[in-house]
Amino acid sequence: MGLRNLKQWKSFAIEALNQSFLVAKFLCFLHVTNTYLCTVALTYGPSMLPTLNLTGDLVLAEKISPRIGKVGPGDVVLVRSPVNPRRVVTKRVIGIEGDSVTYVVDPKNSDRSDTIVVPKGHIWIEGDNIYDSNDSRKFGAVPYGLLQAKVFWRVLPPKDFGPLGQRAK
Amino acid sequence: MLPTLNLTGDLVLAERISPRIGKVAPGDIVLVQSPVNPRKVVTKRVMGMEGDSVTYVVDPKNSDESDTIVVPKGHIWIEGDNIHDSNDSRKFGAFPYGLLQA
Repeated sequence: MGLRNLKQWKSFAIEALNQSFLVAKFLCFLHVTNTYLCTVALTYGPSMLPTLNLTGDLVLAEKISPRIGKVGPGDVVLVRSPVNPRRVVTKRVIGIEGDSVTYVVDPKNSDRSDTIVVPKGHIWIEGDNIYDSNDSRKFGAVPYGLLQAKVFWRVLPPKDFGPLGQRAK
Repeated sequence: MLPTLNLTGDLVLAERISPRIGKVAPGDIVLVQSPVNPRKVVTKRVMGMEGDSVTYVVDPKNSDESDTIVVPKGHIWIEGDNIHDSNDSRKFGAFPYGLLQA
């Protein structure tokens, strides 16, 4: 009687171990996908209006393009902020290294525009809503190494489900 | 990074936890992604964190002139131990903290 209980417990333990291995494998798969392939991001804030909503959009961003250097002007990207390393911001790439970028310095107060050549290894990013966006006009060109991912699809809100535009409106 | 690291190559171990939890301080040797070549990772020593006032010799080969700079928010100032032959913050400016690898 005691021996049968032991056998039951043993098979139960083996089953539990197998299931937890399965869970562990799934979590590993999820982690690798999230880090190297495709990640999910919640974007909020006014800096990318009208492309992205104020109250928050759920977007999919792939991580392969930044690695192979296939990020170009017009792409919406996730970038680690140069002023707060714990924060990842969503902006649009306006110019890559070597490009001559003309930007309006302070659209709220004046029409003055400035031209700058993007240094080697850097990119120039701007929000679509230049009236309310902290971007390269404020903190300068950001090093390419801070690029995290390239946004390609929007999941939420459901009415905006679909690919995210390549061209700025 | 002479004389700390050899010219012909050292194999080092670098841990990735400290940059994530913000425990990198002046004096630490770190691996950073180069701001001019994103595929390259360089090894330098941290000289100052954000808010620190860093005094550095601008061009030790040619003059003794030194300059003082305050490290901007979210950035770090890094220099190689061999300042006579090192491409570091004296050349590129302060590095964003996000470029720290290990």
